[in-house]
Amino acid sequence: MLGCQDFCGYYDWTFDHVRRTFGQDAVHELWAQAIGGESQRHYVEAGHRAGLRGLYEAWTATGEDEKCDWTFTLDEQKNVLRWDMRQCPSKGFLLQNDLNQDEDYCDHCMGWEGPMLQSIGIEIAGHEHNHSGQCWGELRIMDKPYESLDLPVDIRKDPRWQNGYLDRFANHVKLPLLETASRSADVCDVLRDWFTDADQLLVLGRGPSAIEKWAGSQPHERVIVTAPTYSARDVFKGEPTAVLISSPPDDPLVAGVASRFNQTPPELRPLLMYAYLPSIPPFDFSRFDLPRPVPILPLLIRRGLYRHEPNGPFPTTGVFSLLLAVALGKPVAVAGIDLYRHSSGRTYADGSEPASADWPPYHSLECDLRYLRLASQMAGINLRFPPQE
Amino acid sequence: MSAPDFYFAVNAIFRHIHDRYGKFALIDYWRRLGHEYYAARVKRWSEGGTDAIAHDWKQYFAQEPQAQVEISANEKSVDLDVRVCPAIKHLRDQNRDIVPYFCEHCDQVCGSMAEDAGYRFERTGGMGSCHQRFVHLTLGGEKKERI
Repeated sequence: MLGCQDFCGYYDWTFDHVRRTFGQDAVHELWAQAIGGESQRHYVEAGHRAGLRGLYEAWTATGEDEKCDWTFTLDEQKNVLRWDMRQCPSKGFLLQNDLNQDEDYCDHCMGWEGPMLQSIGIEIAGHEHNHSGQCWGELRIMDKPYESLDLPVDIRKDPRWQNGYLDRFANHVKLPLLETASRSADVCDVLRDWFTDADQLLVLGRGPSAIEKWAGSQPHERVIVTAPTYSARDVFKGEPTAVLISSPPDDPLVAGVASRFNQTPPELRPLLMYAYLPSIPPFDFSRFDLPRPVPILPLLIRRGLYRHEPNGPFPTTGVFSLLLAVALGKPVAVAGIDLYRHSSGRTYADGSEPASADWPPYHSLECDLRYLRLASQMAGINLRFPPQE
Repeated sequence: MSAPDFYFAVNAIFRHIHDRYGKFALIDYWRRLGHEYYAARVKRWSEGGTDAIAHDWKQYFAQEPQAQVEISANEKSVDLDVRVCPAIKHLRDQNRDIVPYFCEHCDQVCGSMAEDAGYRFERTGGMGSCHQRFVHLTLGGEKKERI
């Protein structure tokens, strides 16, 4: 049977299944109709019965049932019902079990709450979630004066708020993730729009072939590099279009990225990207005065270029960069992905060597080969590797 | 113990897929869920045989509120005597309209998992209590031994 103990796991899987099988709009319909319209009808009943107070009582009961670490605050004079979620048990289940089947699990909450609340004359005045288990939201009765709350328990005052990347909503509407890059609220569009004027892309990994003649002969107008390259300016000395930060990141690496990024004029800064894999502990980029990197998994999952394998290996940063470039649908040249077996005997372009002859933690030859094959199949003749010696 | 209101969503998702896309789409959803989402459980069943299947279900039902299930196994088969189905009980207790094909999800999800692990799934009864059986495809199995 399908139980409730692992519900969040197959809920996540279901969203992905519905998107893959019936299209993007279908999952929004599922959230609005099946979840908001039927499954959670007790909220509708509570809201009809007693407005914000009814919702407060219903959500408080849910919180006890699901063991939510949150605070619900009702201020009827200010026409506001607010929640501050310190640790979402639902997203927490996915993080704990290394699950990431759907492109954006967290979106389901606004997906069902928005339509459900609208049906009873209540509006989500504001909401943000960081995809790491923390979120807040304020509800108000429509067409009545409303005042936002300033509380000590505001999750935005919690250090954990700096983890992850933010989705923001105002008056039921999802806001753009990165307005300097795109007006779209869809994170996949942010990536597409950032690269929209690129005729072709050059992806440079850290392997020795990244500094060989073939790589040097490729157009360098639009380049995707990894964080060590951006920090050290070794494999590529120019200004890259985008930088993929490795998983897991470490302080010296991110400090190096931050040093260069923050000294670069804003108009020349690259797009910072990160995988936000559930198995990797959250990382606070704000400690280095960096913006939250843009996530790459939603686009890769949507394009069928990545399926997360719980507790399994994931692609190296170079291969992730390549997958992203292929997902963007541009002609791609790639160098520096040598699978740790370059003919020179060297491992990295900068001459450094790994601590052991084994593949680095979290990665495997089989995994990288699988994704390289997938990228080749998807891109066809639009993907070019260095010629074999 | 887990939050039983999630059964509301399970029931509602079944109805939505059925009414919006048809029964075939619902069956396809169930079978792919068994095949893909539960691949790790299936692997344990394949490797550990009937003891692993029985152990897995004992652990699973122990986390389901109000479930009353007796599980027995021998080298050829595993029997689940579901005296109180926790999902049906909670949906009924909360006056939810249960889709008439609710129990078929076990046939398809468990059936898909069983096939992938080298077993056949059988169910008799339903809508609150039922008997479920996982029978090894090559060994067959009739003899029951309580564990």
